[in-house]
Order: sequence, then C-alpha cells, then structure tokens
Amino acid sequence: MSTDRETTLAVRSWLEEGVTRLPDRVLDSVLDQVPATPQRRSWWPARRFNDMNTYAKLIAAAAAVLVVAFVGYQLLPRNGGIGGQPTVAPSPTVLAKGNFTTIGATVGLDATRAGDKVTGTMTVTRNEGDFTVDLQCSRATSAGSLWIAGDVTTSTDSTNAPMNTRAGIIFQRGSAVKAIFIFQFNDPRAATCQAFLDNMIAQVGEPDFASLAPIVGTVQLAP
Amino acid sequence: MDLELVERAQRGDRSAFALLAAGIATRFLGVSRRILRDIDLAEDASQRALVSIWRDLPQLRDPARFDAWSYRLLVRACYAEGQRSRRWAPNLHVLPVDGPAVGGGLDDVIARDQLERAIQRLSVDHRTVLVLHHYADIPLDRVAQILEIPVGTAYSRLHHAMRAMRAALDADERPAAREASR
Repeated sequence: MSTDRETTLAVRSWLEEGVTRLPDRVLDSVLDQVPATPQRRSWWPARRFNDMNTYAKLIAAAAAVLVVAFVGYQLLPRNGGIGGQPTVAPSPTVLAKGNFTTIGATVGLDATRAGDKVTGTMTVTRNEGDFTVDLQCSRATSAGSLWIAGDVTTSTDSTNAPMNTRAGIIFQRGSAVKAIFIFQFNDPRAATCQAFLDNMIAQVGEPDFASLAPIVGTVQLAP
Repeated sequence: MDLELVERAQRGDRSAFALLAAGIATRFLGVSRRILRDIDLAEDASQRALVSIWRDLPQLRDPARFDAWSYRLLVRACYAEGQRSRRWAPNLHVLPVDGPAVGGGLDDVIARDQLERAIQRLSVDHRTVLVLHHYADIPLDRVAQILEIPVGTAYSRLHHAMRAMRAALDADERPAAREASR
C-alpha cells in the first residue's frame, strides 16, 4: 500500500510531466485585444493601510486603544452602578432611505438607526452584476460624509462584491447629494463592520466627490 | 513577480502588461491544462484570464497580491471555459505526454495511466485544489484565498483528491500482489 509520501511524490512527478508553453499566437491574440479592451478603473484610490510602516501602525493602534478606553470610561454609569437609573432603548430613526442612481448603478436603500445599532438593506443593480448588503454600521466623518456598510448577502458581482465580503456606500450631504460605493476587494475581512469602516476611513479618507455627478432620484439622510 | 510592471500595467501601460503577460503565460497554461485536461480549453482559459487581468487590473488594490489575484481570475476562466464547452465529462481525451517518461518502464506507464484515470474522475473543484497545491506549489491557505473557500474546505478537497490518487496507485499494485500470492 502506498504511503502518503509516496503518493505525493508520484502525483507531483506526474503533474510535472511534459513541457507546456503558451503558443505565441495565443499571447499575440491577447495583446491584440488589449487596445479594444478598456480597463475598469477603480472607484477607489489604491492607497492602503499596508503603506504605513510598522512603527506608524503601532502608534495608530495605541491611539485607537486610548480612544476606546476614553470613550468607554465616559460611558460608564456615574451614579452607583447597580440599581441606577433604568436605560431607555432609543427609538429607531431613518438613517438613509431612498431610491436613486449613481455611477451607473441603481440603488434601493432603507437603513434605520437606534442608538449605535444600524439595520437595513441596500440593493444595488449594475451592469457588472447585482448585490444586496445587510447594513450593520455607520459612521459620520468630521468632513460631513455619511458612511454606511454591512455584509454582502447576495451577489452576482463576484469581482467587486463577492458574497460574505463587506461593502457599503458613502454619501456627501448637500443640496446635490453625491454617493460612492466602498468594497472590501482583496483586503482581509475586518472583524466587525465598524472596524471595516474605520479601516476604510483610515486608508482613504474622504472620497473625491468633486469628480462625481450628483445622484439621480431621492434619498432621505439623517441630520 | 515584478511589482513595478504590475503598477505600470495598472496605470494602463500596454508594454508593461505585455511583459507581465509573457511572464505568467506559460505558468497559466500549465495550471489550466492540468485543471481542464484539454489543451485547447486550457489555451482559451489562459487567454480569457489574461484579458481579464488587463481589464480588471486597476481594481487590484494591493499590487503585491497580484499572484493570488491572477490565479483567481485563471481559475474562474477555467470554470467558465469548461461550462461553455460542456466538456467536463470524465472521458475527456488523455493528454499526450510531451517529454520522455520518467523511469520509462512499463510499471511507470501503468501508474501514470492509473493516475490519469483517477484525476479525470475527480470533480473540477477537487482537481483545482490538487493542481494549485501540488503543481503550482501554492500553500493551502493561499489556495483557499484564491478559490474564496474556507481553509478547512481546501484541506478537505485536497485530502479527498489525494485519497483518490492513492487508491489509483494501490489499484495498480493489486494485480502484481495477486500474481505474487499464487
């Protein structure tokens, strides 16, 4: 009976048999198609968290820990803990709701917020494929943009929004609202939806909305 | 992999893409040929994958991940070619061996034939993991990343594939064992 090692050696040897070289005509055909094949430009600048050196990452991580600790301290009950005043669950309010088109995509959005908890759905239809996002988190930046994200639950767009990755949308408020999508792409999946947004904000900052056309349709955004 | 070539091609530099494509073309054909078990399909899959790379390269956020990303496009192209041609049946013709057989004896010929039959009986999912790991020398965690499957699933598929290959080799030994026992 063959051992595992013998089997592995036999399979590897068999797989490596034969010299395979792609014929020139095939490569020529590819290069002939290139001028007529437009590149799909990224909707997002290719700046990455990885561009930071290790020392900078450590400082950023330490700063994040301090911020979390400070916020946690501020949220601690001030009047005796056990038996303190009962908390009242915040009532849900509209975070973003509407139907519109932007960057060649048709979007249906219905997101509500109750305190820090975000629920809702975003459906996106594009030529490249459709996808649905189960919305779970949001973030408003100091520059005034509203970021909403969640998990891709259905998708026919395996290039930009494969199943079980995170995706979302960013709004620029104003008389002419603008919107742009965010995708996890090849990045590792963040541990939480909020971490995904935080990483995206840290990596790319505010999108270049100036080059975008306003949405067509209506959307109601939380103040 | 030349990072600078990837970045230039991302910016639309056709000459950089030509160099990049020439550098990976043979590797692509090697992998697709072993997944598809058909040289014509493999050439078509390689061509389709290379065009996809050109088209989607600007969307690759981290050029350092070009290898894994390009393999993912190649595997997708292999699946697409297979589905388009509807030639996934296990009786695809056996590829000729281009070079001299290692060892060259009758036993080696029989063993290779058994392995060929065994791999043809594997599903494409199992065959793809086997080829990426044992032919392209890609660690299983990266294979899982390329195929967008959990690492446990990649291990499971490889285990199944190797068990089938081992059974094929052992089946080859059985007649000889029976001869010896007479």
